[in-house]
Amino acid sequence: MVLPAALTALLTLVLSAALLQFCLKRRFPDFSYITQNGRLTDFLDCVIISHFHLDHCGALPYFSEMVGYDGPIYMTHPTKAICPILLEDYRKITVDKKGETNFFTSQMIKDCMKKVVAVHLHQTVQVDEELEIKAYYAGHVLGAAMFQIKVGCESVVYTGDYNMTPDRHLGAAWIDKCRPDLLISESTYATTIRDSKRCRERDFLKKVHETVERGGKVLIPVFALGRAQELCILLETFWERMNLKAPIYFSTGLTEKANHYYKLFITWTNQKIRKTFVQRNMFEFKHIKAFDRAFADNPGPMVVFATPGMLHAGQSLQIFRKWAGNEKNMVIMPGYCVQGTVGHKILSGQRKLEMEGRQILEVKMQVEYMSFSAHADAKGIMQLIRQAEPRNVLLVHGEAKKMEFLKQKIEQEFHVSCYMPANGETTTIFTNPSIPVDISLGLLKRETAIGLLPDVKKPKLMHGTLIMKDNSFRLVSPEQALKELGLAEHQLRFTCRVHIQDPRKEHETVLRVYNHLKGVLKDYSVQHLPDGSITVESILIQATAHSEDQGTKVLLVSWTYQDEELGSYLTSLLKKGLPQSTS
Amino acid sequence: MMHHQPALHLLCSGGGIDVIFTLQGDPSLFVASAASQLLVHMLTLSVESETTKPLSTKDCDWPACAQMIIKRIEDSLQSSSASHIEQSLKLLTSLFGSCRATWTEVLWLGVAKQIESFLTEETVQLQHMLANLLLNMAWSPVFRDTEGSFWALVTSALEHLTPVQAGPLAVGILRLYKCPQDVRIQALTVLLQPMDCILRAASQPLEYAGLLDESVSDPITVESLLSSRSSCANLLCQTLAHLEQLLSLSRLPVDLPYTSLLRSLMTILQFCNGFLSPASPLGSTISRILINCFRVQRSALDVVAALSERKGSDTLIGSLFDLLLAYLESPNTSPTVLKKTFQATSKWLVRLQELSCSNSQGQQTEKILEDVFLVLQKRLCSPCWEVRDSSLEFLTVLIKCLRDQDEFRQSLLSSEVPRLTENLLEDPESYVRASAVTAVGHLAFITYFAPESPVVGNQYNKENTVAKLQEILSTDPEGFPRRAVISIFIKWLRQGCTGQLEDTEQFVSRVIQTVEHDLDWEVRLGGLELIEVFCSQTICQLGLPQCPYAPVSSAVTSSIHWNESLQVFCRAKLFSFLFRSLCDCDKPVGQRACDVLLGLKSDFYPVSTPEGSQGTGDSAVGQGIAWLQRTLRQGSLAQNFPTDGSNGVDFQDPENMMLALGAVELEELHDELNRSSDHVEKSPQSLLQDILATVGTIEENEADCY
Repeated sequence: MVLPAALTALLTLVLSAALLQFCLKRRFPDFSYITQNGRLTDFLDCVIISHFHLDHCGALPYFSEMVGYDGPIYMTHPTKAICPILLEDYRKITVDKKGETNFFTSQMIKDCMKKVVAVHLHQTVQVDEELEIKAYYAGHVLGAAMFQIKVGCESVVYTGDYNMTPDRHLGAAWIDKCRPDLLISESTYATTIRDSKRCRERDFLKKVHETVERGGKVLIPVFALGRAQELCILLETFWERMNLKAPIYFSTGLTEKANHYYKLFITWTNQKIRKTFVQRNMFEFKHIKAFDRAFADNPGPMVVFATPGMLHAGQSLQIFRKWAGNEKNMVIMPGYCVQGTVGHKILSGQRKLEMEGRQILEVKMQVEYMSFSAHADAKGIMQLIRQAEPRNVLLVHGEAKKMEFLKQKIEQEFHVSCYMPANGETTTIFTNPSIPVDISLGLLKRETAIGLLPDVKKPKLMHGTLIMKDNSFRLVSPEQALKELGLAEHQLRFTCRVHIQDPRKEHETVLRVYNHLKGVLKDYSVQHLPDGSITVESILIQATAHSEDQGTKVLLVSWTYQDEELGSYLTSLLKKGLPQSTS
Repeated sequence: MMHHQPALHLLCSGGGIDVIFTLQGDPSLFVASAASQLLVHMLTLSVESETTKPLSTKDCDWPACAQMIIKRIEDSLQSSSASHIEQSLKLLTSLFGSCRATWTEVLWLGVAKQIESFLTEETVQLQHMLANLLLNMAWSPVFRDTEGSFWALVTSALEHLTPVQAGPLAVGILRLYKCPQDVRIQALTVLLQPMDCILRAASQPLEYAGLLDESVSDPITVESLLSSRSSCANLLCQTLAHLEQLLSLSRLPVDLPYTSLLRSLMTILQFCNGFLSPASPLGSTISRILINCFRVQRSALDVVAALSERKGSDTLIGSLFDLLLAYLESPNTSPTVLKKTFQATSKWLVRLQELSCSNSQGQQTEKILEDVFLVLQKRLCSPCWEVRDSSLEFLTVLIKCLRDQDEFRQSLLSSEVPRLTENLLEDPESYVRASAVTAVGHLAFITYFAPESPVVGNQYNKENTVAKLQEILSTDPEGFPRRAVISIFIKWLRQGCTGQLEDTEQFVSRVIQTVEHDLDWEVRLGGLELIEVFCSQTICQLGLPQCPYAPVSSAVTSSIHWNESLQVFCRAKLFSFLFRSLCDCDKPVGQRACDVLLGLKSDFYPVSTPEGSQGTGDSAVGQGIAWLQRTLRQGSLAQNFPTDGSNGVDFQDPENMMLALGAVELEELHDELNRSSDHVEKSPQSLLQDILATVGTIEENEADCY
């Protein structure tokens, strides 16, 4: 049985998490599908944001400030701190580059962030009377979390994006054996068992090194936080080991900002960084210096990390323009680019770009794409399922074909149902919640009086009346229930007619029946009443002659609902007839 | 396809309708909803393109395709399957919502009986859909203008549906321009009933009049909903949201009992913070449920704020402020509730001022203002940035609305609030710094910019503040505070607070030199707006004939004047920023700069571009202009736009700039800049290129978000 309110709470919440995704590709999701023209706040108990990437939070200000969701929003502390920077960036691209006017404003982003309740890892947050949530570390990016959502004894884990292998600056995702009814997992790399990370890193270092060796310049457009730090640590170590001299720069202002956040949220990084932090901040680099715009024109090789990551504006785009014409140079795109950005265009192979409708820019420099994104691969997803032991798994955030393969693997290995609904599709999952019921003291005493003392190991069947009121369940004795609810008792009696061949007078037949029953039912009180009827406990037996056939006697047997068992036993006994010897 | 009859016939004859009807039950809600929409289009197209005479209920008049669809609708309405009924109701809802033709009434007559019967059946999901259906019908003139039967059905729905289901219908009805008065009153009853219950639950019998006449209200259902933990907050929030919607209408079709409504809102707010523990069993149950319920608090405060604009609830103003202040003071008030409390307080403070102007409530006002600033002082020091920010925003709103009121100015300036606000200019949180900048900027209007500035001590030093804001503009690492500074500067300039022309010139020049290298394009854009305001003010002051407010001057003086204006602009180094901005890599900046330059051009060349300005010859100046034209043609690819005069263009020389304004093809540039930046991307050829280039690489990119 499922408590309807609780279930709605769970489902709507998960739905919201799924709907907030993919806002980048399709602008914003159409939330009217969930509200059916009602108010969002009436349909949702809360919104949970797993991490700061735009495909997870990009529609949030639209949702809370333009569509009108007014309930609580939960995210971790780092996410709350970093999210507005990304949203601001997103707003700028859209308003600046696309000339979009009906878009959320900076004020809306701020107002939205003010509604956010920040949560700590492993802190149980009570959203309302029924609903509680808890965050678990997810790796992936600074502040990313998986959320367990619990209503009564039913629970769902929503992973967001996660990474099961630690990297240079973040740890691996971890969850306890919480046995949720449903685990909703991302499946970006559903089939890939990722080639060793070392390989990719070596590839990256090789490309950078080669370019620098031949005197070229390397541009790495990044978002200020996240993969950038990972790559900086990588290059810093490599430069140190190889004793390289070419300068490495990082966009001005952003190094400080990134440092600030990593210092602030040092507990979210991996163990090594935390340990060394006491002596030295791993994010203060020896070889990587702050960039000045004049450096771009310097002769000779250099490596520059510049923001923003999609080459849509600002410093990275300015540098790209300067360097694009030289085939010795290289740009390495370490992440995904939104359609319409210069990053997306060059990644899809365009070599001639029209800048702002004014001039054609010919791209002669080498363009490389290297994924350093930190998602769990198939092995990682399986590992998480092993950790959490869910009863059902639901795959999202991936491609159908790959998900199908993983689904089969999961079902084979863990023997749990696995679902992969398309966007907008409903999946029904059955749960077996245990529902606590209070028992009245009177009933409990009565039960223990007639039976054995309660034993934890042996479940015991109890009879009583279940009162369901105000979302609480109580088992009481029927009498008490009648009294509480102000109801009168109705007796339900079953009757059955049994035909017996007996030519004797009626009272003689009755006597034969009485003797027979007395003989068979030794433990029961069988009585022969003066009015000619027989009672066995609450069961009443009367005999009449058949109206048409005097040789047949009709026994009318009637019993109460409580004596159902005895009643049916008696009728079957009488149906067999009376023994000959009885007289 | 549903604009073409042959397509319709193809679908109808090929069994397409069956498929589409089945798709209404598709597991994907997108498919299901599209199927339903498609059927609506088919029905509409079929009826509207294939009938010539008015339709009757007789089947034979309807086109075959419409008949098929209607038959299916009727059948599923009569079926025992709830999902089939639901699909048909959805279909009818969107049909009546989108099509207002008279034939819809004929269709309705065929199904009305069946649908009426659903009202009395206990099928919860369907009843929710019925409210939507009736609402869409009420908006259609076909049904709205009929006498009797439709409105009787609406009345019956308002009676039979639960308060939660009837709420949206009720508020929808009340927004209608045309509607029978008794239905309106019935709808209002639905909305007011929970509020009435609250009032009755909290007060002793007969202490206050309730919101509703007892004879019209049957409070049992509402009472039971309010006394249940799971439904109480939901019902109240919904009702409150509906009341807020109603109050936002400029013209209310019914009279609302404002005083009782406000009293009941105050009761809810008192329940929520535990200030009221009523004796009645219902009251104590509700108060137990509502305590610390943020959702209800937020919704109730929204309605309280909306009520401030309605006259008639002023008698309670004293106790309302007691309550609002209690909320502002209480440490239990959550940041989101606090923000709403600030909003409500600011609105009611404005109301209070209006009242105190009209009668002698001066003392009360003074006391309330004092208390408000005391609380604000505390809140400005909150450890929670959300609270500090909301407090600053509240202060700014108050100054905007009440800066002309003596009582307000005195209370504010005698409190610690101004000093604390200035301190927040150095807040660690950038949002707070930005709000502090805005608040300080507005505070200036009542301190040193005020014509009869009240006695102020040394702490209000104009130079200090301006210097502080300029420092923020040049050094703050975040964009928000810098953007806030530039918009405050614009505001000051617009209101003529920056002193005489000479001072203003220096001020603008300083600001421009700070912002021209700002990384945030919105700050640069602000700089351009500042220039625009400055230019129009200067020209206005020096009296160009174009200025409608300037005294008409002779041709001679006007030519001297433009020279003067132009000299001012050159001295202030506006032109190098303006021309450089034309090559800005952020488009809005280029557009704005072009607009400003075009404005100047039309000021200085009122008739037409002077002859010969295109070819300025081989002189140094001429070469400079030619260089400028070339550079501007490169647009944002122009590398390191030099503005130091090394290329023969002296951006501080009036003659040079006069020539440049005439020679540069600003109109052409304007058109180019105003073309959408993705016009190339949107062209079919570019799309094809994208597709071709993307083949092969897309798979890996797509899968990899970060």
